[in-house]
Amino acid sequence: MTPVISAVLAQAPLPTLLVIGLAILFGTIGARIFQKLHIPQVVGYIAIGVAIGQSGLGFISKEVVGSLEPFCFFALGIIGFMIGGELHRDVFKKFGRQFLAILFAEGIGAFLTVSILISGAGMLLGMGPAKSIALGIMFGAIASATAPAATTSVLWELKTRGMLTTAIFAIIALDDALALVMFSIAASIAGKIIHSGSGGILAALLHASRELFGAAALGIAVGFALNFVLRRMRDRDRSLAFIIGAMALVIGLTKALDVSMILAAMALGVTLANLAPRRSRETFNVVERFAPPIYVLFFVIVGARLHIQGMQPWMWILVVPYLVGMGSGKIIGAYLGARWTNAAPVIRKYLGICLFSQAGVAVGLSLIADKKFPDTIGPVIIAIIAAATFIAEIIGPPCVKYAVKAAGEVGLNVTEEDLMLSYNAGDMLDHELPSFAENTTLTKILRTIAETDAMSYPVTDADGKLTGIITIDELKKTFVAEGLTDWLLAFDLMRPVPDSVTVQTPLAEAVTRMREQELEYLPVVAAEGDTHLAGMLELAAVNRSLSREVLRRQQLADEPIKE
Amino acid sequence: MKISDYLTLEHVVILTGATKVDALNELVSAANDFIESIGTEELARAVWEREKMMSTGIGQGLGIPHVRLPGLDDAVMVVGVSQAGIADYESLDDKPVHIIVLIVAPQGKHEIYIRLLAKVANVLKQDDVRKAIAETDDPAEVYRILTEGKV
Repeated sequence: MTPVISAVLAQAPLPTLLVIGLAILFGTIGARIFQKLHIPQVVGYIAIGVAIGQSGLGFISKEVVGSLEPFCFFALGIIGFMIGGELHRDVFKKFGRQFLAILFAEGIGAFLTVSILISGAGMLLGMGPAKSIALGIMFGAIASATAPAATTSVLWELKTRGMLTTAIFAIIALDDALALVMFSIAASIAGKIIHSGSGGILAALLHASRELFGAAALGIAVGFALNFVLRRMRDRDRSLAFIIGAMALVIGLTKALDVSMILAAMALGVTLANLAPRRSRETFNVVERFAPPIYVLFFVIVGARLHIQGMQPWMWILVVPYLVGMGSGKIIGAYLGARWTNAAPVIRKYLGICLFSQAGVAVGLSLIADKKFPDTIGPVIIAIIAAATFIAEIIGPPCVKYAVKAAGEVGLNVTEEDLMLSYNAGDMLDHELPSFAENTTLTKILRTIAETDAMSYPVTDADGKLTGIITIDELKKTFVAEGLTDWLLAFDLMRPVPDSVTVQTPLAEAVTRMREQELEYLPVVAAEGDTHLAGMLELAAVNRSLSREVLRRQQLADEPIKE
Repeated sequence: MKISDYLTLEHVVILTGATKVDALNELVSAANDFIESIGTEELARAVWEREKMMSTGIGQGLGIPHVRLPGLDDAVMVVGVSQAGIADYESLDDKPVHIIVLIVAPQGKHEIYIRLLAKVANVLKQDDVRKAIAETDDPAEVYRILTEGKV
């Protein structure tokens, strides 16, 4: 089947836009299926990418992947920008030293373990000591990188907040910078060992610092400019255009200036988040809402890029020590770094396993390695990193999910809208709210209303079935009926039920219905077709409870950070 | 708000029946021309449903049955007078009812409904008004007193 499709596609490749459409559509469906299986959705995107990419049906060929490269850069830019937005000055003031120590420990940990294991494996495969060691240190340097995309995707999907989440954001933000520096040094040493590189360590370091500081300067400069523009902008749509424009500009300039793209985007995010912490929240929210299809496409392409058939069997032997070395090095390094700096127990226990994901930077570095050592270790590095990052992208997200769950940080970073999606109408019922029987007199009704603070009250018949509603507004009209209070009944005063939901109705749907019909309340009945009254939903009360719950969760998450 | 906006002379009847059932049926029949779209059966059902919850005999010889029904354009009233009195009306003070005012209002016009009830109750709160109506067998006189609000 696959060769046939590939042959057809080779004759007439699918138009790029059609590929984008298919990728986003299937990626989203895949994510939904994986989510149902409790696997982070990012794994679903990648799996779909593999299925329709070079290793599978071949809808996304190597050429198409190439033509979609700008989207990938843009997605990485957005991810960098969003991570930058999480890095607030006060967190760094407080935990800067701690996070730096952990960063170096886990980075160097991964470097050392991978270098040793790969060098050993290389020698066992008969590559000779020089080539094996060169290969080892190159892989070691690449192993220290952590892909922010898949990791943050899980954090955002699970709405995490807390000490571990803060540490993850900080570490993955800085991780790539460290990887770039280590790679530059490693490439220069490897060049010396196998005599095919050019330039000394100093030149390599100079190049790395130009890449890092250039990126930071670019991001900060555009950040200041964007902040200046956004301060004067009230219209959300227009500000979105400016933000996206600024991001595309930064990404484009990093390519032109040959500086680190993720770091520049991150610097842009950090600058905005710290220049105007409150206003920039809105900016990040706007980008967050705009980003999902770009993420989906990015991860589908990550999967589509993998070309399993092109891997030689012996290469798989190196994939294993690479992955084992990277995982164990990061876990041990992060643990030691956290211990030395007395970091919170959740960081000590779980940070390491959150750093398995690898993608853009690792692949990017392997491409540079290929250019540097085209005749010796370059092609091996490219092939192995492609396979290893693919596997790391698949194992990484579930590990992050496990860690943040165990740390108790899931669902603490929520908005009212998020909460609304997780509740049913039945969860928000006011159980204390009195209801009136149809034959309750106005005298009694007025007495009850004086003692409670609702704006509307349900009326039920003798069987407890909902028959109408009495609202305070309606009751105001009865004030003219002085002298009637003993013989006017709830039945005389109630109005028909405008709409009702069941206890099982999703809260979001109930609230939408209230807003559409401009209702302040909505009666809730037992079930579809069973009008026994379960309670009332009051829009104001629902909003109050949601805000309270958001605040409670935020405090729960921020408590250890503020201590 | 004026009672004359909702009551016509044709809808003032001198009751012949001596029981609550007969009296209410007479009033419902008299309301027939306003409620063609609904039908007297539906009106009778609604009136009795309300009576079952609590009698509308509010004391001092007065009965004010009142219902809201969908499908009406405006509120209407029918007044019945029984000189002999309806003894089985189950009035709040256990005394026979002499004046029955049936108020039928559209479902959505809550305010008019309550105001009309209040207006009728206020007019009939006056002892001399009640006495004059209960003692006459002339519908025109009943109509005049009720619409003018005085004897």
